[in-house]
Amino acid sequence: MSAYEADVCVIGAGAGGAVVAAELAEGGARVVLLEQGPWHDPDSFDASPPRMLARLYRDAGGTLTVGTPPIVLPLGSGLGGTTLVNSGTCFRTPEPVLDRWRSEYGLELDSETLDRCFQRVEDALSVSEVTPELAGGNAEVARRGAERLGWSHGYLRRNARGCVGSGVCAFGCPTSAKQHTGITYVPRAEQAGARILTGATVGKIDVRDGRVRGVRAQLTGGTRNGAGGEIEVRAPRVVVAAGTIHTPLLLGENGIGRESGQLGANLSMHPATAAFALMDEVVDMAKGVPQSFYVDEWAGEGIIFEGIAGPPSYAAMSLPLQGERHAEAMRSYRHLAQLGLMVSDSSRGRVRKFAGRPWISYDLDDRDLARFRTGICHMRELFESAGAREVYLPLPPGTEPEQVRAKDLRLMAFHPLGTARADADPTRGVVDPNLMMHGVEGLYVADGSVVPSSLGVNPQITIMALATRLAYHLLQRPCPS
Amino acid sequence: MERALDEYIAAAPQPQRSGMHAVLALARRPRGAVLLNRIPPLAQIGRTLLAMERYEEPSVARSLGWDAEAVVAHGRALRRAEGRP
Repeated sequence: MSAYEADVCVIGAGAGGAVVAAELAEGGARVVLLEQGPWHDPDSFDASPPRMLARLYRDAGGTLTVGTPPIVLPLGSGLGGTTLVNSGTCFRTPEPVLDRWRSEYGLELDSETLDRCFQRVEDALSVSEVTPELAGGNAEVARRGAERLGWSHGYLRRNARGCVGSGVCAFGCPTSAKQHTGITYVPRAEQAGARILTGATVGKIDVRDGRVRGVRAQLTGGTRNGAGGEIEVRAPRVVVAAGTIHTPLLLGENGIGRESGQLGANLSMHPATAAFALMDEVVDMAKGVPQSFYVDEWAGEGIIFEGIAGPPSYAAMSLPLQGERHAEAMRSYRHLAQLGLMVSDSSRGRVRKFAGRPWISYDLDDRDLARFRTGICHMRELFESAGAREVYLPLPPGTEPEQVRAKDLRLMAFHPLGTARADADPTRGVVDPNLMMHGVEGLYVADGSVVPSSLGVNPQITIMALATRLAYHLLQRPCPS
Repeated sequence: MERALDEYIAAAPQPQRSGMHAVLALARRPRGAVLLNRIPPLAQIGRTLLAMERYEEPSVARSLGWDAEAVVAHGRALRRAEGRP
């Protein structure tokens, strides 16, 4: 068994872990970063949705929740985690959410520090607003509809540099324009001396006398940095960043964090669906940035629209039609526009382990169902206002949005959060406001699982900013401005 | 090169993988499709897989204005020219 000595061992190289690892390594700490997935060679990105689902996602993108309705929850796999396959949208944490964290969870996040962390992340990822030219025809349809209705809208801010609108952000960016953590923070960590091991499945988190001592992991053979076999990393600090679904399972298997009863509970997500419209104009939805535009007119009600688009095979999979109507609409693919509806949920789920795999229970509650009914009506209104010849809603044939039942909805979900939530009160949360596990000295969590509530916006830079804040807390110095 | 749909199904976890193989086999046969239609969620999976297969076909995608090879070649050339990772 190989052994490594480190000041900090980080588990997971996604939005949280890669950031902590890079900041700590650059701050002078000896870091070992363990990632379960592989490093993906960008030369293998071929813009094929099914092939890229197979290679870049956990379970080929088929992670499913159990409940009404079952929901597909795509999770990235590899250096970069889900940042490798997300749309790159960057929103800072909304102020009302931060206020809620203070009042309900005792998270006194100093706003000046947090601002500095956000700025540092945004600089590292080259975050900027999408230009109308790059947004493409699909965004233009949504913009025109929102404009005519007087609804609040805008172009999204994204972590991209030199983007040419390849249209396949979710299937591996062939230009490496999307600044996911696998090509930003991970190389920085490596350059600063961190040891990066891929194909590393952590089994044991060694905790003795209330203090973490290190971890043990199994390396698969033929990985980028390892020959295979068991390894031990001895470190007085361990940061778990395996993601909202897998972090509570890893902690639970090790008998850690169960005292509060909150581990694995409080799962919040953004359940989502999408509608299509047949336009007179050529849209060419996959030419441009798929997620470049938003409509936040009803953000206060938990409903937000964001652009979504993709190549024909992707569109064919999600087009809510059957038989000849499906074929006919697909013949007009170049005239199809698509828009996504994302709900800031009040439903809550739970993650457990069953037969060696995550078992994610989640039922859509009545308030979220009402949000979908309202949101789908608004999507139709928007497309009609934009001049759609036909609108294809994600509903069973003959069903009006107001009548739809939860079990009729075909949903995906994104942005899982909250399964090891932060709370100053150890009876209500798994980690404290500094993201250290209640009751285990030196063991921290830095991923979406610590985020205690739904954000209503894409969470990646919230997770990264919290990870930055954690890194500087561990370095015992202020985050640089 | 392995067909994209085969690779996709092979990467899915059990029991979804076996389920997709079975549904796809039924969906490809007229009588099987009729049988599947009695179970709407499975019929939907069958339609989705067949759609994925059909529209992944390069000649079909190109006829709809999408040329994956060209998109990828352009992206890779830019990446190399600009020295990106």
